[in-house]
Amino acid sequence: MSSQATGGLGILILFTLLFVRVPVWASLALVGFVGCGLVSGWQSAFAITGTTPFDTASAYTLSVIPLFVLMGEVASGTRLSAELFMAAQKFLSGVRGGLSIAAIAASACFGAVCGSSVATAATISRIALPEMRTAGYDDGLSTGSLAAGGSLGILIPPSIILVIYAAIAEQSVPKLFAAALIPGLVLTALYAAVAMVMVRIKPEYAPAPQSVSLREKLNALSGPWQFIALFVVSIGGIYAGIFSPTEAAAVGAFGAIAIGVLGRRIGGKKLLGSIEMTVVISGLLFVIVVGANLFSTFIVQTHLPEVFISIAKSWSLPPLVVMGLIIVAYIVMGCFLEGIGMVLITVPVFLPIVVSYGYDPIWFSIIVVIVVELGLIHPPIGMNLFVIQAQAPDVRLVDIYRGILPFLVAPFALIVLLFIFPDIAVWLPKYLYR
Amino acid sequence: MTDVTVIKPQRDVVAVLGRIQLWLAGLAIIAMMLVTVVDVFMRYVFNNPVRGAYDFTEAMLVVFVFNSMAPIFLARANIVIDLIDAAISVRVRRMLVTLSDLISLALLVILSYAAIVPAMQAFDSGERKLQLALPLWTLWIVMFAGLFGTIVCALGAIFLRSWRDQDTGHKL
Repeated sequence: MSSQATGGLGILILFTLLFVRVPVWASLALVGFVGCGLVSGWQSAFAITGTTPFDTASAYTLSVIPLFVLMGEVASGTRLSAELFMAAQKFLSGVRGGLSIAAIAASACFGAVCGSSVATAATISRIALPEMRTAGYDDGLSTGSLAAGGSLGILIPPSIILVIYAAIAEQSVPKLFAAALIPGLVLTALYAAVAMVMVRIKPEYAPAPQSVSLREKLNALSGPWQFIALFVVSIGGIYAGIFSPTEAAAVGAFGAIAIGVLGRRIGGKKLLGSIEMTVVISGLLFVIVVGANLFSTFIVQTHLPEVFISIAKSWSLPPLVVMGLIIVAYIVMGCFLEGIGMVLITVPVFLPIVVSYGYDPIWFSIIVVIVVELGLIHPPIGMNLFVIQAQAPDVRLVDIYRGILPFLVAPFALIVLLFIFPDIAVWLPKYLYR
Repeated sequence: MTDVTVIKPQRDVVAVLGRIQLWLAGLAIIAMMLVTVVDVFMRYVFNNPVRGAYDFTEAMLVVFVFNSMAPIFLARANIVIDLIDAAISVRVRRMLVTLSDLISLALLVILSYAAIVPAMQAFDSGERKLQLALPLWTLWIVMFAGLFGTIVCALGAIFLRSWRDQDTGHKL
């Protein structure tokens, strides 16, 4: 059997293993190990398998993962989400659908210290959903804006998925964080625009707004300003070249703990719980990266991406069609694959193709994160939708589906914008790291 | 997410081992964070960075990664795609979980076995971390200790009755 055929068979077996509930790390590692053995011989397979876990676990660049996860977990354990939502709510009072936009804005801000979409959706919806329902907002609009807003957590830096992409695609984390900032803000604005259009078309979805004074609006900022300052210091420190990503993550985690403890926002028990969750979440990410590195080595050895490239070029497929096919593949996979697993499985195969067509790997990372976001919110299996339904079991899933559909326009619009104006993603990293 | 307890409040050997490794990993993160913050502070305020902070972070990352695995395997918290759960019986699901456990266990053994040669090479070469002068083989020992604990916890999850039904199946 040729190495390319082994590669194709390996991918098939990988999906089969995933389908029968074999953990993502084990599926990747098993296919990677056996595949390397078949393609390059067992001695080589054992040599790669022997060094990969240690090399992964001692890679300084990956130390950013547990530290940013700690920052997010501590922030989740505090009242930050409530303070952010209240501040956004006051600021947007007087706007019809203001609570819906406030939920999106609070999610974007929370995502900026959290880095996880599901955690953002769960935390903000716990606070915002009861408020929106009490105020008379339509269930579909409420849950749709919360699910969509929650998905911003993985795009707006710090984004764990971008750190993982950086590791697998050998890209710079600061450049990826810089690339994600403007698309993250554009997507936030697009989600807010969708909410406003929905309320305009169906005024019964949101009650008439009540305005508060400017003084009250400014007072509302006194709650979450410390955490906003924390984001500015840690992520801004990376952009300004003051901190490496690991230093920024350490400062961010330390600052979150200090703000939480000194401000009596988090108790000892919750802090210990945050550390425990950080260990588990980061640990399982590392195990997956180990598996993905083995799988990626196998894919490189099979020369499968080169085969795909030559097929695409022999069919004279234009770059846009190739990219379109890749995006469709991501959207389909997003129906049944978990986001980080999807990135780790696909990037070794797709990235060489994308690069061979002249696209920037940093730009592609943003496209990948957006399609992973789509996977989190598109029916029938969008993780954020289930997270939100868990917060409000009396809301029917069909209403949540109805509510999210209009919001799906926003990520698609951003993808189109990124194709027309790639500078949305690549200008800031070029400017900052000339 | 902070209200989740990963390891069940039990007192058997695997629970104690899992908990010890969990907190070793937690301590490694805290140590990593504190040393990095002090390094940044000393560098910008006193122009006198902490010597070996980079090496220390890498070393603590090794301590963290290989100790974080035991509680994850004990609690079966690894990420799984549970798409077929709704379509299969409890019995079939349990069989698939056992199959996954056995594959994971076999892979852990392979990873440990395969690491013996590079670990011996690190010992023979006497290679050290540049700034801390820490011999690299000590970190390989940390790795083997962590993997050993993980294998014990993975075995416990398969064979101890009280852990057999644990299936956190973490999703991010």
